[in-house]
Amino acid sequence: MMARTGIIYTETVVHLAPERFAADVPYQVVIVKLDDGGSITARVDGARVAIDDRVVESAIRDGISFFRKQ
Amino acid sequence: MRPVTIVGAGKTPFGAFPDQDLRTLAVAAGEKALRNANVEPSAIESFYLGNFAGPEFTAQNHLAPYISTALGMNSIPSTRFEAACASSGAAFFQAFMGVASGIYDVVMVAGVEKMTCQPTPRVTEILAGACDCATEVKAGSTFPSLFAMIARRHMHDFGTTREHLSAVAVKNHENGALNPDAQMRKVITLEQAMNARPIAEPLNLYDCSLISDGAAAVILCAAERAREFSDQPVKVLGVAQASDWVALDQKPDITTFAAVRGAAKKAYEMAGLGPGDIQFAELHDCFTIAEIVAIEDLGFVARGRGGFFTAEGGTRRDGPMPISASGGLKSKGHPVGATGVAQICDLVQQIRCEAGERQLKRHSVGLAQNLGGSGATCVVTILGEF
Repeated sequence: MMARTGIIYTETVVHLAPERFAADVPYQVVIVKLDDGGSITARVDGARVAIDDRVVESAIRDGISFFRKQ
Repeated sequence: MRPVTIVGAGKTPFGAFPDQDLRTLAVAAGEKALRNANVEPSAIESFYLGNFAGPEFTAQNHLAPYISTALGMNSIPSTRFEAACASSGAAFFQAFMGVASGIYDVVMVAGVEKMTCQPTPRVTEILAGACDCATEVKAGSTFPSLFAMIARRHMHDFGTTREHLSAVAVKNHENGALNPDAQMRKVITLEQAMNARPIAEPLNLYDCSLISDGAAAVILCAAERAREFSDQPVKVLGVAQASDWVALDQKPDITTFAAVRGAAKKAYEMAGLGPGDIQFAELHDCFTIAEIVAIEDLGFVARGRGGFFTAEGGTRRDGPMPISASGGLKSKGHPVGATGVAQICDLVQQIRCEAGERQLKRHSVGLAQNLGGSGATCVVTILGEF
């Protein structure tokens, strides 16, 4: 199956997280507009991304989608 | 539909009150409202409670009769409404319809939240229950992070700046410093506001509202009977509620809230007024960006101009459209289930000319906007002199 691709619609870097994500801080949360339609709230692997960056889904860990810069 | 008035209003101070439990706070606000309206508890025909997460914060459930019986109201319908941070706005809307329809003549609406009994990470988790838990929360979103993403996109699309966001916080602290019932009565500088520690970029500590305990209550009465209770009844000119997706990623454009625009349109129509007729407003600044988006969605300024208008002083008490003279959620405090009715109490105070140092020059028509979640519920209320 082809990895999902899309464009960063918006993003933030979280510094104050709920307890179960406290170890990940700071981490980036994004909304990706998917090329195949629809949007998804996801996390970022690797380098920080900005609005309008093209991204590709790199992993699904614990049910969370991760995207990285294409 | 018949005309409805507010004949009494009362609220507790907002803050951290370890010695006062949820019911004590709600009863204190309810008793103030009863005294303010010269109404006996036995005259209240129905009780509407706004509360977001009492069971999660305090373990107590079945809250509406738990409170109304302690206020001396027996046998009446007594129901809790939950709509995230718009819980008591939603309760107010239902109460209005009960009186407007002719079913009841005199009812009480209260809002309460007891939050400071839980540590901050647990509070964040309870609040996140009003996000889409299966998608947003699972990915690590919190409320600050959702509004941070709104801010980021608003900055990208319209040129809103970090300074514009902080101008909201500075203005609301300036107002709250004059409010004896506010939680954080502290003036802050623009530099302080811009350089506080980051919570979710671009939002920092001073972009976020407070964790609070508090309660507020109002008595609604059919206009034809208002003078039996009050020399200064305030008229409900318009009130409307609207809804939208809970998940931010389902909205086609996150720089505007469809629920706010929808509720505003209906409330303006009911009142026969437009944005230009509103003289002052209490808005839902759960985060600074929320106030900027709200003044755009309510039609006070053009789309994308909210930040610029705020930085130019347009929303200050001496500006053309004073916003949240109470100090807003940012400085007054934000006991989430109490906020909607507390905003109504703040409008009533201004319309009756009882706001002390915060009293506005033009105060005959005011608007309150109470937002739930990241825009999934909105209640807009317009009040005016009777």
